Amino acid sequence: MTAERHPIREEDLIAYADGRLGADRRGEVESWLRDHPNDAARVDAWRHQNEAIRTAFGPVAAEPLPARLDVRRMAAARRAGSGRRYAMAAAAVVLLVLGAAGGWMGRGVFAPPAGSVSLIAEALDAHRLYASEVVHPVEVKSDDEAHLSSWLSKRLGIVLVIPDLSADGFRLIGGRLLPAGGQAAAQYMYENDEGQRITLFIVPAGKESRSAFRYASSDKLEALFWSNDKIACAIVGDLPRDALKDIATRAYKQFG
Amino acid sequence: MTRILDEIEACIPALRRYARALTRDVSLADDLVQDCLERALRKQTLWRPTASVRSWLFSILLNIRRDDLRRERRAPAPLPVDTLAAEPATGEAQSARLAAIEVSAAIAMLPPDQREALLLVVLEDFSYGEAAATLGIPLGTLMSRIGRAREQLREATERTPPARPTQPARLRTVK
Repeated sequence: MTAERHPIREEDLIAYADGRLGADRRGEVESWLRDHPNDAARVDAWRHQNEAIRTAFGPVAAEPLPARLDVRRMAAARRAGSGRRYAMAAAAVVLLVLGAAGGWMGRGVFAPPAGSVSLIAEALDAHRLYASEVVHPVEVKSDDEAHLSSWLSKRLGIVLVIPDLSADGFRLIGGRLLPAGGQAAAQYMYENDEGQRITLFIVPAGKESRSAFRYASSDKLEALFWSNDKIACAIVGDLPRDALKDIATRAYKQFG
Repeated sequence: MTRILDEIEACIPALRRYARALTRDVSLADDLVQDCLERALRKQTLWRPTASVRSWLFSILLNIRRDDLRRERRAPAPLPVDTLAAEPATGEAQSARLAAIEVSAAIAMLPPDQREALLLVVLEDFSYGEAAATLGIPLGTLMSRIGRAREQLREATERTPPARPTQPARLRTVK
């Protein structure tokens, strides 16, 4: 009778298998399972899965930690200015050269049309390449924000502000200069407290000038593009479209 | 600052375990944890306790993992099940070990979304609410991912019974 008022749903079966139901509900599920052997077999299989997963990976937590995961040593190295960063600089340089060469060769072969489609594609590529970079995600860090702004303004030939997106929980990490369609592009990278990163990819405005927001998505990344009479900008991130739109609106206002 | 360092340190074994289960690759998993710790150290002065340190660290690790997958688009190498199936299955411990190998191979075939969700709950013992918050998804989405993961695992493991050649399947249910 109780089961009729609160039918047993899939979630209840899962929570039962995980041992996370209160005593009352547990009794209801047990009586349901007595009458439904198919569900009982599934729940039984799930419990075996749980045991098997814990058997397979549980012992990893008891393994001795390798030195490179010593967080105290890492913290001390950071405070000391870190010799490790220097060692990793070579790898970052290789990555940078590959990125530049890839962009250049791709351009020769595919000759993308000017406009938003190619800009969004380049912004997505640049995001994929640099957002996963831990040690050198940017060329110039945010603690040198004034230099970053004047340097990129000079290279792009326009006055370029750096939008403050802290109201959306994103803080500037820094920026870099990139090639895009034969001209210079700026990429700003921001990060929130959860380590999620978004990038803004900016080129001087072309002839097509103003446009409304346009969206594109690719492999779970959302991109949003707009242009005004000064710049064309694509914002990229693994965020719901609405959240990205709020951030884009905030950035758009600050670019003026 | 030292206290948060203590809390971060206490989470490292669990982060390694989770990363190992996600990637099934020892050095890839430790790379992931190392990157996660670097990023956490860089952000620790900004971190404010809106969630647990554990949940915060796991969400950083997951974000790095997703960025890596996007960049590399590299599927995890499937475990060579054939060579393992040839080992003799003697006794209960051996049978549990084979079941573990079997389920770990099946986990590798799950879509990343489902794998992340299932392992947070089953392996890391996150509550459903904490897991949903860590993944940044609604509770209903979490439950449906876990449900789909479980059904897919069940189908995958039931299709490959030869993994215990010397143990008839019915023996498993005898308690």
